Amino acid sequence: MFKRIVLTLAMLFCVGSSAMAEKTIIFAVDATWPPMEFVNSDKQVVGYSIDYMTAAAKAAGFTAVFKNVAWDGIFAGLAAGKYDAVCSSVSITEKRQKVMDFSTPYFKVRQALIVAKDSHVKSLADLKGQKVGGQIGTTGYFAIKAAEGVEPKSYDEVGLAMEDLNVGRIAAVVCDDPVAANYAMDQYKDTLKIATVIETGEVEYYGVAVKKGNKEVLDLLNKGIESVSKTGYVQEMQHKWISQ
Amino acid sequence: MRDKHVVIDVGDGAAIPDPEDKGLFTAWRISFFGTLGIIAYLLIFRPDPYLDIIKFLPDGIVVTFQVTFASIGLALVLGLIAGLGRISKNTFFNLVASTYIEVIRGIPLLVQLFYIYFALGHLVRVPDMVAAIVAMGFCYGAYMGEVFRAGILSIDDGQTEASLSLGFNRSQTMRYVILPQAWRIILPPVGNEFIALLKDTSLVSIIAVSDILRRGREFASESFLYFETYTMIALIYLVITLILSKILSNVEHRLSHYERR
Repeated sequence: MFKRIVLTLAMLFCVGSSAMAEKTIIFAVDATWPPMEFVNSDKQVVGYSIDYMTAAAKAAGFTAVFKNVAWDGIFAGLAAGKYDAVCSSVSITEKRQKVMDFSTPYFKVRQALIVAKDSHVKSLADLKGQKVGGQIGTTGYFAIKAAEGVEPKSYDEVGLAMEDLNVGRIAAVVCDDPVAANYAMDQYKDTLKIATVIETGEVEYYGVAVKKGNKEVLDLLNKGIESVSKTGYVQEMQHKWISQ
Repeated sequence: MRDKHVVIDVGDGAAIPDPEDKGLFTAWRISFFGTLGIIAYLLIFRPDPYLDIIKFLPDGIVVTFQVTFASIGLALVLGLIAGLGRISKNTFFNLVASTYIEVIRGIPLLVQLFYIYFALGHLVRVPDMVAAIVAMGFCYGAYMGEVFRAGILSIDDGQTEASLSLGFNRSQTMRYVILPQAWRIILPPVGNEFIALLKDTSLVSIIAVSDILRRGREFASESFLYFETYTMIALIYLVITLILSKILSNVEHRLSHYERR
């Protein structure tokens, strides 16, 4: 009897929710990128991007579901259709645009160089012949690879690179500036510092990546991002997550 | 002369081809030449991207072999000590060896790698390669210890008794009588462990050692050619392990001279 009631309720719920016909967008997130997206002490995926997309979902009328996925292979999963979008501090680059579509930019970043507190290094050029770490497949790692004479070292997560820098196995780490600030001014504030913000020709913008040609999801995302970007909520989030 | 053929069964090794198999189509030949054929086909008819992928990997292959050989060396030394410790009548030595084997075999290799790399990194500044080799060597040393112990115990007690009655002491007996005989029995499972270790070195990519797998992942993360890259990586691992298993099979065949009739 109890089972039957539960089943009936479940069915009613299903009918009810489909009647509202709100589109669900599943976002893949590599939650190892504080303060943009990370897992907090309550095991919840939180951060600037998460707040932003939740607000965008409300504005554009879709349901946002966040799925924690490892960075390495996150785009392969997108191509395979395991989720609808990648919202994981993805910088919009020409190479990436060839294989996926991007939403309107929602955040501006540059690459920062992090070194030990007592280091005198001022730029990547000072690090010739030394090991510099970055997260695999990120624009930070590509910047290290592009620098002449520096030995690049790729990590699965930026946190592991920071730890290696902290114990002195590598000379520096390159990553997005909000993340660099989070590590150098919070977790490792006694041992690490930001040496410089690398001027790589142009600034980078974060966008949400969707499968090439997925216009339905892209339109919804753009609608949401555009309406959020006009509100004061952006400053609020900026204050909450980045400039503490 | 006893004629029982002792086989030590150790799991997780590659299948060693049967040297007595004289057929033209053996499983080994089909896999080996099939793999080579696929690689050749891909390189000739799909040079873009497969040629680029294979050009990206050589230093990774070198690192994989460096880690494999250094770790197997360490594992053999540790294994021999641990194996002798396990059968030693010295209580202390025995206890240390047994504890080492129990502890190491109870911790997953991946966790050991993380532990040695990141946890011990706070105490001693070990380079990444050294951490990888130490972790792999200590892990496989424990398994080797059991292989050595089983191999030594498989030699008939009569050998020890005869040797002792001829005036050898215990360590001489071990060195000149037991180990040379046990070696023939130990070698096949050790070879199996060697191939298993080579495959397990793919785990060191997690602690940022630039082995074949990490090089491949770097390539894939930039080109987004996941399918093509991992296909190539799988084929390369397969070629390496197939060659090794063939070599081991031949060595084993020679050593089994006395067991053959």
